[in-house]
Amino acid sequence: MFFHMVLERNMQLHPRHFGRDLRDKLVTKLMKDVEGTCRLLNCDSTLMFFFNFLGIDVIEREDSTIHLLCVYCTCYLCYYGSGHHGFVVAITGIDNVGKGLIRDGTGFVTFPVKYQCVVFRPFKGEILEAVVTMVNKMGFFAEAGPVQVFVSNHLIPDDMEFQAGDIPNYTTYDGSVKIQKESEVRLKIIGTRVDATEIFCIGTIKDDFLGVISDPGANS
Amino acid sequence: MSAEEEENAAELKIPDEFLKAKCLMNCEVSLILEHKYEQLQQMADDPMNQMSQVFEKSLQYVKRFSRYKNPDAVRQVREILSRYQLAEFELCVLGNLCPETVEEAIAMVPSIKVHSLSRLQLFMFLRGKGNEPPDFITRGRAHDDEAIEKMLNDLSLIKKFE
Repeated sequence: MFFHMVLERNMQLHPRHFGRDLRDKLVTKLMKDVEGTCRLLNCDSTLMFFFNFLGIDVIEREDSTIHLLCVYCTCYLCYYGSGHHGFVVAITGIDNVGKGLIRDGTGFVTFPVKYQCVVFRPFKGEILEAVVTMVNKMGFFAEAGPVQVFVSNHLIPDDMEFQAGDIPNYTTYDGSVKIQKESEVRLKIIGTRVDATEIFCIGTIKDDFLGVISDPGANS
Repeated sequence: MSAEEEENAAELKIPDEFLKAKCLMNCEVSLILEHKYEQLQQMADDPMNQMSQVFEKSLQYVKRFSRYKNPDAVRQVREILSRYQLAEFELCVLGNLCPETVEEAIAMVPSIKVHSLSRLQLFMFLRGKGNEPPDFITRGRAHDDEAIEKMLNDLSLIKKFE
């Protein structure tokens, strides 16, 4: 399902970009970083480790060599957990760009940016339409926008059988209904798996009113 | 996460931020993405380079599965569906799938039945008629079926005149 949401992101900018076009450069960087991604969290990286540089220790070993050991400590583990937003399909506008904060020790400046975007997020139990991309004896793969759905042969009605060949397909015994590549099907999502970079779903067409959608041309 | 295990769109059990967010039907997304595509074409010499694969796939998907192409029709659909007390998510699923019968509508969006029933139960509770005989329930349900049928008829009318 597509949603229109307001999301927030901390954008880091190198001082060389400061100047007249600062805002434009920020927006361009935002679009490049965020559009088309599927992020678990709303920040620069999945987990943010803030390292504090404490100092240098001098260590003398038995063989009389001197080693310098840089000592860091993990300041805190920053975990912005607000659930999964799904794929960011397109950014539609910038709401607000906050004041920039200079990061200690690096000179980079962090700007909190609020932006509006269209996201796609499939839910368990959701019924949607998809295009079949591949058929094999284990089941078939279908695509619904940026998300791939797999329907196992156990979740295909029993009266449909797999037919191998040039164009592998699932067909009913009387040949009236066929599922092959490029067929449009209506399926129900029964599980989602979320990766760092994509969402993968499994679905079923075994319930009522699911399965191949009749030719759109025939209906209207 | 345990929260994800409870997730079930059929019962409208989705995270709060999505329940509160604006849900978009495929036809609405199609208008937005096409507009953005035109913008990209005007700005850059090579729009294909600028588009992410996600954008391209989504654009193809919504163009293919939009039931209504005309922007006025799209607006009408939302307006009609908004008259019935539906959650944004339910509204969009109905707008996307365009069920033809009441049975189909309930199969696509099981939560509209639950909503009607729980509103009915609430009504009965408030009126203090907890022991109402069963035929009140069936009469109440028939009324909701009628409402759903009317809604589907209105939707199909837009399609006809699009």
